[in-house]
Amino acid sequence: MNKKLKQFLNSFLLIELLKGLAVTGRHMFSRKVTIQYPEEKTPQSPRFRGLHALRSYPNGEERCIACKLCEAVCPAAAITIEAGVRESDGSRRTTKYEIDLFKCIFCGFCEESCPVDSIVETRVFDYHFEEQGAQIMTKEKLLEIGLLHEEQLAKDIESDAKYR
Amino acid sequence: MGKVNIEIDGKKLVADVGSMIIEVADDADIYIPRFCYHKKLSVAANCRMCMVDVSNLPKAVPACATPVADGMVIQTQTPKAVDAQKSVMEFLLINHPLDCPVCDQGGECELQDLSVGYGEDVSRYVEGKRVVKDKDLGPLISTDMTRCIHCTRCVRFGQEIVGIREMGATGRGEHVEIGTYIESTMDSEVSANIIDLCPVGALTAKPSRYKARAWELRESPSIAAHDCLGSNVNVHHRRGEIIRVVPRENEAINEVWLSDRDRFSYQALTDGKRLLQPKIKKNGQWESCDWQTALNFAMTEMKRIIGASNGDNFGAIIGNNSTTEESYLAQKILRGLGCNNIDFRTRRRDFSADDKGNVRSGLNFPLQDLEHMDATLLVAGDLRHEQPLATLRVRKSTGFGKAMAINPFDGEYNFRLSHEIQPEPHLLANEFACVLSAVAAKKDDAISAEIKEWLSGVEHNKVHSEMADELIAGEQTCILLGVYAQEHPQAETINWLGEQVAKLTDSKWGYMTQGCNAAGNKLAGAVPNQSEVGGRATLGKNAKQMLNEGLKGYLIHNCEPDVESLWSEQALENFNNAECVIALTSYDDGRMLDYANVMLPIAGNFETSGTFINIEGIWQSFAAAVAAPGDVRPAWKILRVLGNLFELNGFDYESSIQIRDELREKYEVSGDKKVSRKMPEVLCSSEKFEAPRESLGLYRVDPMVRRAEALQKTPKASTHPISISRVKT
Ligand code: SF4
Ligand code: SF4
Ligand code: SF4
Ligand code: FES
Repeated sequence: MNKKLKQFLNSFLLIELLKGLAVTGRHMFSRKVTIQYPEEKTPQSPRFRGLHALRSYPNGEERCIACKLCEAVCPAAAITIEAGVRESDGSRRTTKYEIDLFKCIFCGFCEESCPVDSIVETRVFDYHFEEQGAQIMTKEKLLEIGLLHEEQLAKDIESDAKYR
Repeated sequence: MGKVNIEIDGKKLVADVGSMIIEVADDADIYIPRFCYHKKLSVAANCRMCMVDVSNLPKAVPACATPVADGMVIQTQTPKAVDAQKSVMEFLLINHPLDCPVCDQGGECELQDLSVGYGEDVSRYVEGKRVVKDKDLGPLISTDMTRCIHCTRCVRFGQEIVGIREMGATGRGEHVEIGTYIESTMDSEVSANIIDLCPVGALTAKPSRYKARAWELRESPSIAAHDCLGSNVNVHHRRGEIIRVVPRENEAINEVWLSDRDRFSYQALTDGKRLLQPKIKKNGQWESCDWQTALNFAMTEMKRIIGASNGDNFGAIIGNNSTTEESYLAQKILRGLGCNNIDFRTRRRDFSADDKGNVRSGLNFPLQDLEHMDATLLVAGDLRHEQPLATLRVRKSTGFGKAMAINPFDGEYNFRLSHEIQPEPHLLANEFACVLSAVAAKKDDAISAEIKEWLSGVEHNKVHSEMADELIAGEQTCILLGVYAQEHPQAETINWLGEQVAKLTDSKWGYMTQGCNAAGNKLAGAVPNQSEVGGRATLGKNAKQMLNEGLKGYLIHNCEPDVESLWSEQALENFNNAECVIALTSYDDGRMLDYANVMLPIAGNFETSGTFINIEGIWQSFAAAVAAPGDVRPAWKILRVLGNLFELNGFDYESSIQIRDELREKYEVSGDKKVSRKMPEVLCSSEKFEAPRESLGLYRVDPMVRRAEALQKTPKASTHPISISRVKT
């Protein structure tokens, strides 16, 4: 009996509706969190794991020394490397460095394993492919991305250095 | 040998008196870390990594240099031992560069492994590190001498095993450097073994430099194909590409070593110009085609030529390194078609024993015994370049025994000869007969009148007599006939002499053969005088006749008679004039392009399965390590299909194992046929013959070796073949 009466009052007096509206009302005056993507973007951690890049030294020399640690550590087997002796100076370099972004799970292990901070993950996360096969990031593409983002990358690595 | 009871890590063990702690521990599977110790080398005890704690001794002692004593209690894990090892590790790492990521040894490095176990994660060392200039050791070995930890394994290898001091240590303390004293390349035939010996990445393989890391490689066991020992190897490959070849331990054959030839020949397969598709020559132009077309073409031509001439005008030349299965199928096809012209012995002149059935070729005693000989008589063999690993065994025997040689070569030996005779090539048999005569003089009662008669007129001198003395006196002695002896026009006479001298002096005897599978090829029946396992066959033409007479059609399997046979010029001419040359080859280059009419791409060594039979008669089967590229097929499959095309019976094998088993069964029934060598009629025919003055050469033995780039760049590739020009008197 008691239960039925309670139910009746609840619905007749629109109490639940008012409760809901109260939430709406509260949020009308609180701080907004919605951002206008793509004009606005959320802040990113220096450890953000986005699109890969291969870094170079300021003198233009690629950092990667073809140690293949990233290839070995990659849990998704997304990295394929072939290495050899570079003709010009006999140093150890990759002749092929490819990351299949469809396989990659963005775990960041490659970045962590690299002894020379060569393979890194940039803050770029919004990209798409239009052609079959474009998801294979070749050495040229990766180096180019590296050059493009070098400033940011250097800063990020710097800021994270003390925790490593 | 006396025994003592010792205890290592609580395990009670019985050990031979005089053995070192580390040997006993190794046998008992107790691991003691080490750098300088190697079971095949002398003890240097200079790295100090193998420290163990022996009760009652105040300090830890090196396990590799401490002989066991009765009642010894050894601990490998006590703080005393581990502390000592940790300190050693720290000292070693002071000067070792931190370049594991670019080091080819990374991932299989003893220093790396042990530094995980005994090293600290942070170095206390802040001073400058030492840098050592790299040495140029030639096209096979690359160096990073800064990484060297001075274990001197490479030095000891040269000194003790090869007998050529190529590497050495100069300077002291901080300034020690390992190198070749004067800048020079390593040019022994087994030099690359120091790559395996070097515990760090100071010495690595140049041809595979930076190509792959140890953890990416897959390992397949196989058999090396360039000398008659049949060394056991492991093929390391990645994504279907052979990266390197390393020795697989087999005490009975190659111990832990491998010759450079067997190690680097794989380069022909990876970097050589491979034939990837069957090709037919039409109007002088090569055209690629499919297998069907190519095989039909080959079949029609063979049928035509064999049919027109009753099998007389067609012949098959089989390569020395063909597998037993391939040879077996090839002869089965030919004999099935009524043609007996098949041979693999393109470097033989003396076929006088061809009508007597003999199956077995090679050594009549275990290879291993070579190292226990009190006296070894080497006849006409350039052992060092023909069977580099056999030399190492003979060398071991010279530690206590004697080595002697009758050799027309201006020989290079890596052991001391107690007696040497260097005859003119055509007098080889005479000189050897002198030894027999010397033996006969000492064993007069054991000699038949017939032989006495034969030997009349053969005069022996002091050297022969001393040689005979050595052979008679020694408890274990042997007579080893080299490859050149088999190439000699009087090969059968020399063989007979070898047998007689051995019989009279109670020695063992055997002869070395060209290529890796002479025994197998012979057993498979790839010879004109007998079919498989010494079965009866109408006598066909031998290699010499085929190459000199000019047949209408040839089948050339896995060889280039125009380069490697004794009649290369005649061969070339006859091939050019032939109506049809069917070539089964792995390579798309060379003069074959001119003379062949159809080329069928066959898988190379390591790409096919098969069996090699070594000189000792050991059957060693192997599976393919990697798949052949392109449209290339294993030769046994090609021959099987060819057999089917001819509609011959018994060609429905599904694997090479079936072929082998079939042959094996036949062999078990027939067994080894005993050879009865007839006494040669005359020692030297009155007509003077021109004996060959050149050997084939270390790096020219077969198509694969000739195309291995790194080997061809070595100094040995150009200074070899050595010609027989100078005669010591
Ligand atoms: S982020 Fe992870 S999955 Fe992607 S390439 Fe690197 S290691 Fe592989
Ligand atoms: S990117 Fe770094 S980890 Fe990967 S191969 Fe190059 S150096 Fe080694
Ligand atoms: S080069 Fe290698 S094998 Fe030779 S001494 Fe140095 S570390 Fe030892
Ligand atoms: S292994 Fe014993 S001192 Fe080097």
